[in-house]
This record gives sequence, structure tokens and C-alpha cells, in this order.
Amino acid sequence: MTQEERVRDFVTAFERLRSEVEKVIVGHRDIINHVLIGMFAGGHVLLEGAPGLGKTLLIKTLAEGLELSFSRVQFTPDLMPADIIGTNIILEDAGGRKHFQFQPGPIFGHILLADEINRATPKTQSALLEGMQEGFVTVGGASRPLPSPFFVLATQNPIEMEGTYPLPEAQLDRFLFKLRVRYPAVEELNAIIDRTTQVRPVTVERVMTGPTVLAFRDLIREVPIASHVRDFASTIVMATHPEWTGAPEVTRRFIRYGASPRGAQALVLGAKVLALSEGRYNVSADDLRTLSAPALRHRVILNFEGEAEAVDVDTLVSEIVDKAQATMVEGKEAFLR
Amino acid sequence: MTDPGALDRLVQRITMQVRWRRAEYHALRGLFYGAVLAVLLLAVKTPLGFWALPSAGAVVLLGVVGGALWGFFQRVPATDAARLADGAFGLQDRVATALEWAGRPDRPPLVEALLADAIARVDALAPRQIIRRLIPREARWLPIPALLALTLAVSPPLPLPSGRLPDLSAGTETAETRERGDMATMDQDRRQVPKDALKRQAFEERDFNQRGGTGASPTGGDLSAIFKDTSLGNQRPDFNSFLKKGDERLKLLEQVDRLPDLQSDFTQSQYKMVFRKSKALKSGLRPDQISPQKLRELLEEMERLGRKGGSWGNDAAEGLDALEGGQPDKALEAMEKALNKMRAMDEQGRGGKNLRGGRENDSGASRDRRSGSGGGPDEQDFGEGEGLLPGKGKSGSPKGEASQRLRASPYDVGVEGESRKGRKDGYDTNMTGRGGKMGSRLSYLGVIGQYRKMMEDAIAREQVPRDFQGQIKDYFQSLDER
Repeated sequence: MTQEERVRDFVTAFERLRSEVEKVIVGHRDIINHVLIGMFAGGHVLLEGAPGLGKTLLIKTLAEGLELSFSRVQFTPDLMPADIIGTNIILEDAGGRKHFQFQPGPIFGHILLADEINRATPKTQSALLEGMQEGFVTVGGASRPLPSPFFVLATQNPIEMEGTYPLPEAQLDRFLFKLRVRYPAVEELNAIIDRTTQVRPVTVERVMTGPTVLAFRDLIREVPIASHVRDFASTIVMATHPEWTGAPEVTRRFIRYGASPRGAQALVLGAKVLALSEGRYNVSADDLRTLSAPALRHRVILNFEGEAEAVDVDTLVSEIVDKAQATMVEGKEAFLR
Repeated sequence: MTDPGALDRLVQRITMQVRWRRAEYHALRGLFYGAVLAVLLLAVKTPLGFWALPSAGAVVLLGVVGGALWGFFQRVPATDAARLADGAFGLQDRVATALEWAGRPDRPPLVEALLADAIARVDALAPRQIIRRLIPREARWLPIPALLALTLAVSPPLPLPSGRLPDLSAGTETAETRERGDMATMDQDRRQVPKDALKRQAFEERDFNQRGGTGASPTGGDLSAIFKDTSLGNQRPDFNSFLKKGDERLKLLEQVDRLPDLQSDFTQSQYKMVFRKSKALKSGLRPDQISPQKLRELLEEMERLGRKGGSWGNDAAEGLDALEGGQPDKALEAMEKALNKMRAMDEQGRGGKNLRGGRENDSGASRDRRSGSGGGPDEQDFGEGEGLLPGKGKSGSPKGEASQRLRASPYDVGVEGESRKGRKDGYDTNMTGRGGKMGSRLSYLGVIGQYRKMMEDAIAREQVPRDFQGQIKDYFQSLDER
């Protein structure tokens, strides 16, 4: 199979999976794209939005379109780590001898839907940490590998913050993207009403298997990136750090901590998937610009002034990207001086 | 492997476009500077004669050609040219990425597909100029030297200065002759010197009065005779040097920036507002009489200010806790601590900007006084911003540093003993201690009058409770009756 055919296969699979999800989900084209990009990049995605916007339905539909095991955990304040990871239970064999046997929890699935993740205690939330980053969980001193591909899709509700436990920065950083699910437009709302209030059974076909997803992940990592585009990604991430010498004024004014190196990884990996999904063999600066908000909005921590002035992180990231691009152009393309 | 020749050709094409644009740009700059040089040459065409015009033309030509060559042969990195091509043709960094990765030994298989894709897209492009023309700043001013050069070329040569300096020897000789003449006419001659038009009338009058006593004729004590044969003999023995010092002081007063802006400093500081509120809240009440609600509001306000970068936030929070626990006296204590910190920070901030020059000058004066070289109390200046008076200066305390005030002001000496007998209208104090060593004697009534005025100003400014105002006035009244 030639490289062009491999890429064409990926584009076709990506399009088919998206169209399967769109059979159920109306609108939210960007959200679906970014969820798929996150999955192919090998990362995890956090969806934030008000109740009833279809976050959970989107993830369930995506799981139906993939031939992968799916498990869902509804996070509540009394959920314990063992409820997610699993536990050792005592079994008695035919000879009457008792022994421990590990009973795997829902984390041992390919796709894990962590619904309303911010309702569980930090202890339970942290049960996901090792699995999300390493692909392993440790139970009773024994390290157990998670199935591959392993993909966590978490949802959280930005309102009704009473009785919730906001995710710590360490855990937020482990999500490749944070997506904001917004209210649908009027036309989309009409389509939702038509689709959900009439007898019109929708069947989602399974279009991709686990090994296919893994093969595509390998292909994605082959996508070349030019050094000046990579420099642009680094500049964007560094420009979120107020102590960096080249940081723009907005960063110094409103940001306490900038994005970690995981932010740069998320930007570049996501840009590679985006380029390939458009049939392109290289990453462009526009790809980085498109994915800057999903990759960085949860990695940038505002300072007191930013919080007090209710600064929108997406706008802030957009300004930072503009400044970073201006810096790059100034340095490289001012020929006629 | 796919041959990236098409990409190289595209990059070369863009490189040439960049070179030509650069050549245009620098040729225009060269033209401007050449024209300026040509103007200079044409301005001095008398010594150059016939060669002035050809050399001016040559300079212009040299500027244009030199600039164009300089621009053309400047280096254009291939990666930059590739990026320009990507941007201009909408190739989404394909060319730059393909060229960069084609030469790398660790290239993944996908680079082959990228090269093929980039070449196919580049082949489909129609060649066009993508580098825009840039006009240098100098080109806007080009018409001026060009017109000047044309005008100078057709006009007759400009007359050049002879190069001789004006001969001033005759005037000097005359002055010397006059000096050696009759001394009786010397002072008259001096008076005939034309007056300086800029000299102020007041100074003129003082000058006249000072010199009036000497008379028109020389007397036995005329010092000008001593300096007759020296350079000082030409100078008029006036007192302008003394006046000059006073004039400089007046100029200093005109430098508004150096004067402390106490009014804006006071009203614009939000910390001052908290001070005012706290004073209004306490205003002679006992801790158990203060409204807990108002105290809580004030503490919350202070805590909010503390969160913005002050160090008193914890004190304010402690005060709030104490208030919650029903301990208003502890809450007041915490509030006082927080107020002190706020005040210190505010004073520090003010000291950096507006109050410069007040205490600094004074400290110099204090040093002079301590070393014995300072003058008497007449030389003291107690104007605004002096930094010695209550509520002024950079002290952490609202009334300033007591020790500083005592050291710095002759009015703050320790006054002890009894009034001496005799006249009562201008009686000196018996000064012992520090004041006695200073050799200054002050009119008690003059001092008390000044302090009474300051007291009245302070009462009007500082929101002193009405009951206390009477007490303070009574106190000063009792001093007056002494």
C-alpha cells in the first residue's frame, strides 16, 4: 500500500466515523472533529457544557461507531477509586481453597465515559491519573495494562458548581483537549426536535476497529512538520508564560501559570491529525492556530486580575497566538529592509 | 525518491523576485543620498569649476548603482523564500516542509507523498510576481534634493565666505586706551554701557541703589582702583551675583514638577479613603460603642485591598475573625495593625515620586546646621512639602518622625525655664539644651502665632471631632496667654 493510499484510507475512515456520529448528533461539527482528532492523536478529551447539550450522547454514539469496548461511569461524591479501577475479591475453588481474584473495573475498557467527572472527590478523580498518562493501573501492588487504544472522554458541567470538586491542574493537563459545548443554533435546534420526537430509528454502523485506530495513530506520527511551524508551536506555548521574556502584555497582565510542554505536544499532535484528515501530508501554521484554544484553554491559569475581570481564556489564547505569529513574521519574512 | 527540482525552481524564482525588489528599494535609497551629496557638490561649484556638474551626476549615478547592487546581492535564505511562496500561493507550508524534509536522512515514508503533492501543486501554479514593491522612507523626501540640485545646477555659483575672522583688535585697543585715561571718567563710562534688555526692572533698581552710595567720583575706598590693571578691572562691582541666587530660587518655584502634589496624592489614594473611614468610625468612641456592621465593612474593604497586593490582608482577616468571635477590641487592634501597614506602603509609594526634593533638601540643610555652617532661622524655609510639619513628608507616622522634626527645625527645640522679666512683647526664651547651642533667638509670640495657624489648618483638614476642636483651641489659647 502506498503512502497516498494510507492517507486516503485515513481520510475516508475519518469522514465515515464523523458521518456516523452526525446521524445522531445535530450540529457541533467542530466538537465532533476535535473529539475524533483527540482520539486519533491518542489523547483524552474533556467536554464542558451545560446539561442537555448532547455531550454524553456524542460519546456514546462515537463508541457505537467503533468496534471497541465501552464503559460509562457516572461520577458521584460517594464514588470510590475501587469503583473505577476494580478490586480483589475472595473466591473459593472446588477444593474449598480461598484465593484473591482481581475483578477489573470500568477503566479496563477501550472507551471510558467519565460523566460529570467534577462530582467525584479528588481521590476518585486521581484514580484515573495513572491510567490516562501511562496506560497502566496499579492495584494491590500489581501493575495491570489497560487495553489499547484507551480513550477517556469526560464531561463536566460549568454551572451547578455546588458540591463539585474542580479538577486539579495535574489532571486537567492530562486531557489533550478541553472542548466547550455551546448551545445549538435555531436551525440545529429544529433538526434536534425533528430527529428526537419522531419515530425514526437511527442505526450507527461500526466503521473502525481497535487495530485500525492504532495503525492510524502510527501514520499520524509520520506527518512531517517544518521547523518554522514547530517553532511557532513552541512560541505559542512559551508566550503563555508571564515570566518568559517574549511574553505579550496580555500574558503578563492576566496569566499566573502558562501551558506545560504537554500543551505543545497536544498542539502538534492534534495539528498532525487535522492535516491528515484534510488529506494534507504536512502540518501548517493554520492547523496550530485552529487547535490552540482546545489545546491550551485548560492549561492556562489566570491570575487574580484575570479572574476578577472575567477574562475569557479563548480570547486570551487567540491574542497570544496573534502576537506569536507577528513575532515570527517580524523575525523571518521582513525581506525588504 | 521524487526529485524536488520543481520546488527548487520555484524557490529560485521567488529568490530572484526578492532580489529585484531589494535592488529597487536600495537603489531608491542610493538615489536619495546621491542627490544630497550632489547638492553639496553643486553648492561649492566655484572651486570645482567645470567638474562640479559631472561630479554631481556621477555621485547620483554611483548612489543608484551602488544601492541596487547592494540590495541585489544580499543573501536570501531558501527557507524564507519557500515560506514566502507558501504564503503567497496558499500552499499551507507544503513547499517549506517538503524542501526541509527532503534533505533529511531520517525522513519518514510520508515525506515522499508530501514531495509528490507539493510538486504537483507547484507545477499547476501560474508564475506571477508575489513580492510587493516597498518604497523606502527616503524616497518621500527625494524631490527636495532633486529640485535643489537642479536649481543649483542652473544658477550662478554661490558666494563663499572669505574665511577671515572679524577683526576685533581695534575695539580692544580703544577700551585699553580708555582704561588708561582719566580715572574720573571711568565710572561715567561704565554707566553708559547699554542696559541689558532682559534685565528685570527690580534688579536694575537695586543695582542703582547699591551703586548710588559710591557717588559719581572715585573715593579713597573705591576698590576698582585695585583691579585697574587686571581683567577684573573691566567688571562692574555690582551685586547681581547675589541677586542671581534669589533668581534661581524663583525659577525653582516655577518648576511645578518638582513641587510635591500633596492634594492629588491625598485625594487619589484609596488607602487614604480607608484611613478617613477608620477615623470617622472611631471618632472618639470606645471599642464597645463602635458599630460592628461598619467595622466589618471597613475590614472587608481592607481585606479586599490587601488581596490586590498589600501585606495587611491577614491582619484584616484576623480582625474579621475577631469580630465574628465577638471581640471588637481585638478587631480594632487588627485594624490598627493593618492601617499601619497600609500607611507605610502608601507613604513608600508617595516617597518615590511626588515628594522628592522636600525632605532631601532639608536633610542637607540639617547637615549644614549640625556642622555649624548653616545659617540662622531666617534661612529656614517652611513652605509646602518641606517634610517637617505634621502630615507632610515621607515619614511612616502621620505626624512625621519626631526626632527628625526636632533635629531639623529650630522651632522644635526644648524650651525650658521661665520667661525673663522685662519687656513682654518680644521676649526671648531661656534656651537650654539643644536650642541653646544653636545661637538662635526666636520671638515666642511669632512662633506661637505660626503654630496656632498650623493648628487651625490641621483642624480644618484632618476631620478632628468637634469636641476635641474646642480642647485644642483652648490649649493654644492658654499658651498664648503666657
